[in-house]
Amino acid sequence: MTSVLDAQLSLSAEEKFRAHFYLLLSRLLGAPADAELLGLMQELEGDDSAIGEAITDLKKLAANISVDQSAEEYEAIFIGVTQGELTPFKSYYLTGFLNEKPLAELRQHMDELGIEKSEDAAEPEDHIAFLCEMMHGLIVGSFGKPLALPEQYRFFENHIANWAPKFFEDLETTESARLYAPIGRIGKLFMEVESEAFLIAA
Amino acid sequence: MDKKKSATPSRREFLKTAGLGVGVAAVAGGVVSADDAEAATLQDEKKTGYRETEHVKKYYDSARM
Repeated sequence: MTSVLDAQLSLSAEEKFRAHFYLLLSRLLGAPADAELLGLMQELEGDDSAIGEAITDLKKLAANISVDQSAEEYEAIFIGVTQGELTPFKSYYLTGFLNEKPLAELRQHMDELGIEKSEDAAEPEDHIAFLCEMMHGLIVGSFGKPLALPEQYRFFENHIANWAPKFFEDLETTESARLYAPIGRIGKLFMEVESEAFLIAA
Repeated sequence: MDKKKSATPSRREFLKTAGLGVGVAAVAGGVVSADDAEAATLQDEKKTGYRETEHVKKYYDSARM
């Protein structure tokens, strides 16, 4: 734990913001929002950037939606009666099926980076929320030392950049999306920022 | 040497102007302000609502040190 703390202290504010964005997306996409999360969304302060405007939209919507409504929306989009409107897995987006080669490649990369999933994890690891959580962990050093930017980029490029922008676009426009529309837009814009920032760093 | 770097704003400057500093730390970390980045990232190991849910609670990752 000490090493994680030391490593985090050396991260610049900008890199921490990136990490927080990934964690935010992970929280927003991994589960229906509870009252605490809806409350916290209302504390966000968007600036006049494109992401800032999407954040302001999210903030306003969060103030006008109940926990039940938000859960219903999440359910319709991600769970559904037989299937939700969207299937937020890398393998599905790249091949049309779950558990295909893109998942195998992710697992191999996770293994290389020393990231394990728990023994009772029954679902595939390439869910968008899990990938965002992993990016966060790689930036701040949850899995050991924070990963250098070129290595972060390799993970981002191979497992996120090749499908997540399309997913976030779908999320923004999917039939049931109200609260999730700005979340999709935030994700889409953040992916653009990440792609460009990695190129600057390269 | 590095044409690209001189032609584009630095990564840091770019990230600074991209609108990422919008109080997201509060949501990510659960209860802290954007200024408390350390606290937020330390807490979030446990705070990621992701693991606590029906849909994805089975996911779990751990460092293999």
